[in-house]
Amino acid sequence: METTNANKMLKDFFSEQKLEIADNGFSKRVMRKLPEQTDRSWIVWVFAAIGTAISLYLGINAGIIEQIMLLFKHVSIYYLVGGVFCFPLLGTIGFYLTQNKNLQII
Amino acid sequence: MSNTDDIRWVAQVAVFGDKNAFDKLTCKYQSSIRRFFLNLTMGDSPLSDDLAQETFIKAYLNITSFKGISGFSTWLYRIAYNVFYDSARAQKHYDDIDEQAIDNQHHTLSEFSAEKMDINKAIKILRKEEQTAVLLFYMEDKTHKEIAKIMNCPLGTVKTHILKGKEKLTVYLTKAGYGNN
Repeated sequence: METTNANKMLKDFFSEQKLEIADNGFSKRVMRKLPEQTDRSWIVWVFAAIGTAISLYLGINAGIIEQIMLLFKHVSIYYLVGGVFCFPLLGTIGFYLTQNKNLQII
Repeated sequence: MSNTDDIRWVAQVAVFGDKNAFDKLTCKYQSSIRRFFLNLTMGDSPLSDDLAQETFIKAYLNITSFKGISGFSTWLYRIAYNVFYDSARAQKHYDDIDEQAIDNQHHTLSEFSAEKMDINKAIKILRKEEQTAVLLFYMEDKTHKEIAKIMNCPLGTVKTHILKGKEKLTVYLTKAGYGNN
């Protein structure tokens, strides 16, 4: 019982003293002091290139790419053109929707 | 902002050296780390800001050593703890809180008043390991296990530090009339 009371007293005491310290430029000062590090984004490009090469190799070997090309041959040109033009349209709609969402959040 | 965000930002910093991601981590944890130092340095704001800055820079430089076994916050506190004790050893700003002085202070509560209740005065009665453990437990809401990782000591030792700290603080605050208002 005593332990519970002591715990409660200490918890009350520390929560009363708990400050939330405002940033006041602290993060910016830290960012300015950070040393420059080498750009390692090439890792992503290397892995992407390896992945693409493996996919192409397997695709060609298994005849998947050939099958896709055959499929395109039989599809009407209007469907293909329509499909290609859908991307900018959907992209624009998507962009405006996310922008509106962001504005609402702000 | 969850721990998943922490992991994502850490990955961005580790792989791309993305400073914006690190800025987000700094903004998220600056308050708790600076408060931790502020309490350990007995309210020395410039010193605590310097130590916090050093902590974040060390975290940035060693971010690839973060394995994600414990949370990012625990890992950051571990760096902060090391930074503080390295600094304490170098500057010897612990000289004024030797054990005898602590015991004297603990047993003589002279001009203390409940209205002037100050965390620094209360914390000063504890030994340095007890201070850290108690602050992490009561102020920063860390678990015993997390504190053991931060202080790199056995769980039992952490429990002992917290128990002793709790006993001393309870006596101190009760004598000071805290909680009677």
